[in-house]
Amino acid sequence: MSAAHVADTGFLIALGGPENERYRRVRTFAKRNGITFLLPERVYDELTVDVPDHDSTRVDTVIEDGWVAVAEPLDYTVPLVSRTMDSVQRYIANADDRPEDEIERTDAALGGLAAQLLAHGSVTSVYVYTPDIAAGEGIETALASDGYGDAITFVNAFRFIEDLL
Amino acid sequence: MSRTARDGDVVRDLLSIADLLEEPQLARLYAYVHREGPATVREAMDALDLPQGTAYSYVNRLQEAGVLAAASDEQPREYEAVDIELSLSTDRGERTYTITPMLVDAVGRRDGNEDIDAYTDRHGIAGLATALTYAVARERGEVTHQLMARDLDISPLEAEVILGALRPVVHDHVDVEPAGASLEDVVAAEDLETDAGDTGEDA
Repeated sequence: MSAAHVADTGFLIALGGPENERYRRVRTFAKRNGITFLLPERVYDELTVDVPDHDSTRVDTVIEDGWVAVAEPLDYTVPLVSRTMDSVQRYIANADDRPEDEIERTDAALGGLAAQLLAHGSVTSVYVYTPDIAAGEGIETALASDGYGDAITFVNAFRFIEDLL
Repeated sequence: MSRTARDGDVVRDLLSIADLLEEPQLARLYAYVHREGPATVREAMDALDLPQGTAYSYVNRLQEAGVLAAASDEQPREYEAVDIELSLSTDRGERTYTITPMLVDAVGRRDGNEDIDAYTDRHGIAGLATALTYAVARERGEVTHQLMARDLDISPLEAEVILGALRPVVHDHVDVEPAGASLEDVVAAEDLETDAGDTGEDA
């Protein structure tokens, strides 16, 4: 049975570049276990934005190295995808007592990708690596209510990386 | 009149703390003593890699500012940090912000952390203070980097970079329940291999 590993912006940023020990440890772990971290398109877009002091080509280097990939676009016509994203949006709004319309759909892209992978049936478990606890817990809650509680795991991105050091 | 004297004290405290926030080296020394104190000047010098003259001059300045105090009269003298808690509010009373040792610590880390330094250059101490409130809220599972980006009109990337950089500051000052699965959980569930800790080459 296979697993998918979905990573958020914060996971990639926390690694730094190839000169960092964090990067090398996670790379070694991924290569040894044949893991490819999947990025929703939204995450790739966030990482490649042009801002001062940031090397926007770094994620492309990691992708060329073969242990990170950009996932297929989200298919909102899949009911589980839309349902999960709506539910994650609601969860994040509630966590900060905000009106739901302040949360954008793209905020739930991680959950959407996890749902799409599970709905497709090609994997039996999905791990979501994010430092956004509200998002991670929202994804677990949303998919658990659809019967995928055992299949979805929110991994605290920082703890995960620190544990590899 | 005592009222006038107290008002004067508040203004003096405000100015002392403003100094701390403007000078990362002073902030770093205050944060060190706050965390590790009571401590001698020698201990602070060694821990922060400060020249002796600088360390003594900083300790004197912090003592004069009223944020460090001698913990004993014995030699070598030990110092302890006076807790800072200065609340500011706007005249509309809609927003209050409390300056705490955590903010001073964040300022002190500008010296060794490019991300905190660059963010503070761009957004000022006030911007750093705001980012710190988001960093606490994020660790508590209340906000995400995207919400911060939208609230402050910055890119999600910039929000994520500063939230990540401030995370250790938050964890040093605020008790936060650990959330989410760990490496061990993933490894056990998927029967993966890890060599974590095997090489031991980096301290």
